[in-house]
Amino acid sequence: MIPWAKRAAAVLSGVFLMALLFPVGSYWGGVAGAALNLAFAAVGKFPPFVRRFLPSFALGINTVLSAYGVLAGGPAVWAVPIAVLSLFSWNAERFGQRWGDAPRPVQSRYLKRIGSLAAMGLGAGLSAEACQGNFSIPFSLTLLSMLAGGVLLLRLMSQAFPKGR
Amino acid sequence: MTGSWSLVAALALLLVLAGLVLRNGALLAMALPYLLFSLQPFWQNRPRPAWKAKRELEPDSLMGGQPCAIKVELANGGEDLEEIFLTDPLPPDVKVEGNTEYHGPFMAGRVETLSYTVRGVRGKYEFGEMSVTIGDLLGLRREEENIPCSGTLSVLPAADHLERMKISPRRTRVFTGMIRSRESGAGVEFFGTRGYVAGDPLAHLNWKAGARWDLLITNLFEQERIADVGIILDARSIMEIKTEEDSLFEHSVRAAASLAQYFLGEGNRVGLLIYGNHIEWTYPGYGKQQRARILAALAGAELGEHAVFKEFGSLPTRLFPAESQVVLISPLRGEDVVSLRYLRGLGYRVLIVSPDPLSFEKWLLPQDGFRELAESIARMEREATLAKLRRSGAQVVDWDVTGPLWLALKSGAAERRR
Repeated sequence: MIPWAKRAAAVLSGVFLMALLFPVGSYWGGVAGAALNLAFAAVGKFPPFVRRFLPSFALGINTVLSAYGVLAGGPAVWAVPIAVLSLFSWNAERFGQRWGDAPRPVQSRYLKRIGSLAAMGLGAGLSAEACQGNFSIPFSLTLLSMLAGGVLLLRLMSQAFPKGR
Repeated sequence: MTGSWSLVAALALLLVLAGLVLRNGALLAMALPYLLFSLQPFWQNRPRPAWKAKRELEPDSLMGGQPCAIKVELANGGEDLEEIFLTDPLPPDVKVEGNTEYHGPFMAGRVETLSYTVRGVRGKYEFGEMSVTIGDLLGLRREEENIPCSGTLSVLPAADHLERMKISPRRTRVFTGMIRSRESGAGVEFFGTRGYVAGDPLAHLNWKAGARWDLLITNLFEQERIADVGIILDARSIMEIKTEEDSLFEHSVRAAASLAQYFLGEGNRVGLLIYGNHIEWTYPGYGKQQRARILAALAGAELGEHAVFKEFGSLPTRLFPAESQVVLISPLRGEDVVSLRYLRGLGYRVLIVSPDPLSFEKWLLPQDGFRELAESIARMEREATLAKLRRSGAQVVDWDVTGPLWLALKSGAAERRR
């Protein structure tokens, strides 16, 4: 379950990187980023040394290329999903390395945990982009997603306090 | 926190800084997912486990090569833990069969058991703390804890069966045993004769002597009693010769175990002194408990080096009862002769069992013409040392460790009779 989610996230990161970099004329950057993400999707086929370092390397390169694309004037809206998908695939690969044969309940719990975090990151990032007018969504939707994000944040913060003892 | 968390936090910080410096809101928006990931461990509760650990060794004392089943139970009386790495670090030189690790969730109230088997060579193995790493599912937080869960495994030295050997200390103890006491009384060995005294058993009358002297003559028998035996194990590092698979010291330990077992089996009072880095003294005693004490002391015997104990001059002779039997197990050096002569001069009966270092070591030397010459010179030196000790009245057994100890003791006794 998790490996396929990770592969899908890595491939989508590559696609979004091309969508971010092609409009600013950085074809080689887009192709290199996509190729790296494709390689990362198939990281299980590589030797252990590569398998150990490729996830972190891919996360770093994705972040740098996204930042470059944003600074070069590309469509900034793609940078947030790239960041979220890169983080997801990187963390899922780390989880797989640490816990190769995780039982199904553990996998479900992991996917819930990282899924909520990714959804929150995506919501917060896209809301921030929308607030800056980088892409147009109705004001009501922006407000709604910000409020939902705020509620989720408060819930998480309330959980951080020790239960009365 | 883990290296993964550091990476995400560093990327978040860089993006925020870049966004602030370049006054670019899109970069700040892009930094939000990274910030959320890096702040996630702070939002989540730190689970508080309450550990209870128990270790069982079955048996905790065994002979070399035998398996010891170890069961370690760890109970979590605190909160649920999403992911833990549980490892039971093992002492070096222990061969393990089974699983000494656990990785997985550890819910409150659950008990996790590690079961495995270890085998070791002679020695004392201390099992200390268990190492537990508590992490979260995302791998961003990690805490390490050591849980005390001690246990000691004693791998005892193997003891050979020895045939009957003769020792004759000047002083014996009052209880009946197997050692001739040089005093007349109840016994089986003929000791002498004297004139009949009313009350002497008639069965002890010596009719032949009576007929010759025209008197009533009674046979006397030698009392057989138990004796004090002090075993000294030479654990000075300087005496050790070690190969990849074998060690001369291990043979000495085996000899000490065999002799202790033999003398205790004969009913004697036996003490053990390990002479090396320091003096380790096992107080004399009798029987099976004393055997267990001596074997446990031998299991922990280690080689050592100390300026004070470099020679036998510092041997604490007051530990051994006056005129008792002392058994020394040592490969011997020429310098040891004076101290051992002194020991003999104090009235102790000295039996020296000397594992032969030359026959043990010669196979390690290169095969050339010099080896034979070197061996013959060293052999002459050793023979001279042993001869000096024999002349001083000590009983010396030169033991080639490739052969059994009982054979060396038997041939040593035969040599003494000649």
